[in-house]
Amino acid sequence: MDFFEAQERAKRRTGWLVVLFSLAVCGTVMAVYAVAMGALHLLGLRLLTNLPTQFWDPNLFWRIAANTLILIVGVSIYKTRAVSASADAIALGLGGRLLDPNTVDPHERRLLDVVEEMSIASGLPVPAVHLLPQEPGINAFAVGLDASRSAIAVTDGCLRLLSRDELQGVVAHEFSHLLNGDARMNVRLLGLVHGILVIGLIGSAILRSFGRSSDGSRRKGNVGGLSAVIFVGVSLYVIGSIGVFFARLIKAAVSRQRELLADAAGVQFTRNPAGLAGALKKIGRLSRGSRLLAPRAEEASHFYFSEGMARFTALMSTHPPLPERIRLLDPQFAGELPEGQLEAVALEDEIPGVAAAVPVAQRLSLRPTVAVASIGALGDQHIAYAQSLLAQIPQRLRDSIREPWVARAVVLALLLDGKPEIRTAQLKALLAIGDAKLAEEVSRVAGALRTCPVEARLPVVDLALPALRRLSRAQCGDLRAAVGRLIRADSRIGLFEYTLQRVLLRHLAAHFGPRRPPGGPQVEVREASSLLLSMLAYAGATDPGEVARAFEAARAELSPGRFQLTLLPRSDCDLHALDRALDRLVETAPRLRGEILGACVAAVATDGKVTIAEGEMLRAISDSLGCPMPPLLPGEHVQAMARPATRTG
Amino acid sequence: MMGWIVLAVLLLAVVLLVSAYNRLVELRNRYKNAYSQIDVQLKRRYDLVPNLVETAKGYLKHERQTLEAVILARNQASLAAQRAAATPGEATAMRDLAGAEAALGGALGRMFALAEAYPDLKSNTTMNQLSEELSSTENKVAFARQAYNDAVMSYNTGREIFPVSIIAGATGFVEARLFEIERTVEREPVKVSFA
Repeated sequence: MDFFEAQERAKRRTGWLVVLFSLAVCGTVMAVYAVAMGALHLLGLRLLTNLPTQFWDPNLFWRIAANTLILIVGVSIYKTRAVSASADAIALGLGGRLLDPNTVDPHERRLLDVVEEMSIASGLPVPAVHLLPQEPGINAFAVGLDASRSAIAVTDGCLRLLSRDELQGVVAHEFSHLLNGDARMNVRLLGLVHGILVIGLIGSAILRSFGRSSDGSRRKGNVGGLSAVIFVGVSLYVIGSIGVFFARLIKAAVSRQRELLADAAGVQFTRNPAGLAGALKKIGRLSRGSRLLAPRAEEASHFYFSEGMARFTALMSTHPPLPERIRLLDPQFAGELPEGQLEAVALEDEIPGVAAAVPVAQRLSLRPTVAVASIGALGDQHIAYAQSLLAQIPQRLRDSIREPWVARAVVLALLLDGKPEIRTAQLKALLAIGDAKLAEEVSRVAGALRTCPVEARLPVVDLALPALRRLSRAQCGDLRAAVGRLIRADSRIGLFEYTLQRVLLRHLAAHFGPRRPPGGPQVEVREASSLLLSMLAYAGATDPGEVARAFEAARAELSPGRFQLTLLPRSDCDLHALDRALDRLVETAPRLRGEILGACVAAVATDGKVTIAEGEMLRAISDSLGCPMPPLLPGEHVQAMARPATRTG
Repeated sequence: MMGWIVLAVLLLAVVLLVSAYNRLVELRNRYKNAYSQIDVQLKRRYDLVPNLVETAKGYLKHERQTLEAVILARNQASLAAQRAAATPGEATAMRDLAGAEAALGGALGRMFALAEAYPDLKSNTTMNQLSEELSSTENKVAFARQAYNDAVMSYNTGREIFPVSIIAGATGFVEARLFEIERTVEREPVKVSFA
């Protein structure tokens, strides 16, 4: 199953979820009606003019149904919005804390390193990393609203008891949730279930307030009213519990299947089943296992790496049984796990890294199908490549890039031009903002960046993003303005400048503000694709014949008869139009986006050469289309297929 | 019919209030998180100062008082920072921290002013490295402070907007205080770069 199929499936599953949820809501509404009728009869209320005499009163039913529905749907929408406001909210609610980027704790540093490697290997921006310091069990979870707003949290046990390989297996499992859109669906599920939960909460609130004021009420001697209140409270509580029971069944059924898929993907990413299996075995050996202590742990139970709470029945489990998961990864596993205390791993004994360095002699040909298939399905070679890229970034820079002050300077320094005179003009433009220290820091960082390989430029931006998300809104606005100034300082926008601006602004906009409405008239998908592919064809070639050939190769990648594409004249191709086109295309169906990306790769690769700038551009387009593309491996830059690729599947 | 309308309005009011409350919690979390960024940098600064003094000691033999004043100011600032980290935004804690920071800045400024007169110290590599580190940390503190103040400002505005202002006081959302360091005359020329 490829990335795009997984996305479509995730969408369909969300549809199913809504159907199942609606059924649960219907049941809850009926139950509320029964309670209301019971309460009315018990009270003998004469306030309402038409007190129902029979049990079934359609008029009353609809009123109760409408109110209950408004309540459930309202709370669901509200809760979904609350958890969608920030990916961090869920981790913070469970007692998590954002990992200090400058931590000196070697375990925490190791976790940050593993997450950063995995991000660069997968093409996803680095998520916020949280630690649940009060949790001794081994567990982890990922929350993702979209690529720019995601977070990963691990428990203290996970941080300290697992070896690097095992930790990497767990992180890979969580990244697969992020890549497959599971993490986003989990957030929606949490919101929906909360709507039903709220009825139970109201019930328990009524009971509690009654408990507090019971003395006063008793003195009044209103026994009928009292018993009605107790009745309503208890009933709402019971209904809430029944509703939550159904909701949990849905949650569990949806969750279990995806956990197995994520295990498989985790192994595929790291090509190391022993790591993930080792982590699961340690959970089995730990007497605490993967259970969480936080009082609100149940709420997010479908997020976790492994079962977060004790369950009575397998039906309610959000995860498949541990031995089954281990056996799928390690067929030799006998099913016996001696319980006992685990020691924290000693980090000095460990050799960092999974695989040997990337064989440089590797000559992969860049075929559209291969490049597109790698989206959401990275392999160990991508991780090894990410490790080697990171190793080439000076350690001091890599550490300090996790701080907002330096991250901001790094992004700006990447935009400095190679030519000294333009560079001076750019630094002057920065000084004009009135921040002398910023200009100083930018030129300092630029010196450190000079030793980085060119292909590490975009990964450096990925590394800077977590720190940039911690800017205040005003600081973020200043940064955007500064980026604009630097780009305009040389009066023309280069390919890399556009790429960086696109990636950066997209991710910052998703985090800091509601998405701006696309400027200008709505473009059609056909026009948008024509424009995108035309621009790529022009970018890769100068000779008109080659441009036409590149465009033709790109068009051949799209399924025939979908729509008629035309090569636009060069004068129509400007970057604002490209922005609009990408904003339009990101809204299309996943499968179409996959085809368009294949066409983009074909347009770039027909001349037999993919430069680093073109590779970066491809990744930016892919990122704009919501498809995280792993970095092109060294061989892919050096030698791409000379002839138009033929579709193999 | 009336009863149901009243019920619906009440429910709406409850939902609105709850959402206002949650919004406040989010804004508060945001400024507290922003404060933790300052805290990280301040701690690093407090770790650097003793090293700096230790290095300077060998050269500034006759300036013991100044050096001791730096260490004293550093210890006080470190204590104030610990208190502020426990309750970020709390008025007294933030005011104390701002005062202690200003005092430390002043003491450091005097030390660096003295150091100008000692060419050997000025050319000492460790000293140069440390003071460079210190000035870069100062920049980071200033930047993080700006982020914190922005977050506090949006929190303070958020708790004064109408429907929220009803519940803000009652639910313990007190006004948070900005972290502003008074720019005293001696604070201004903290010349930490020797190059």
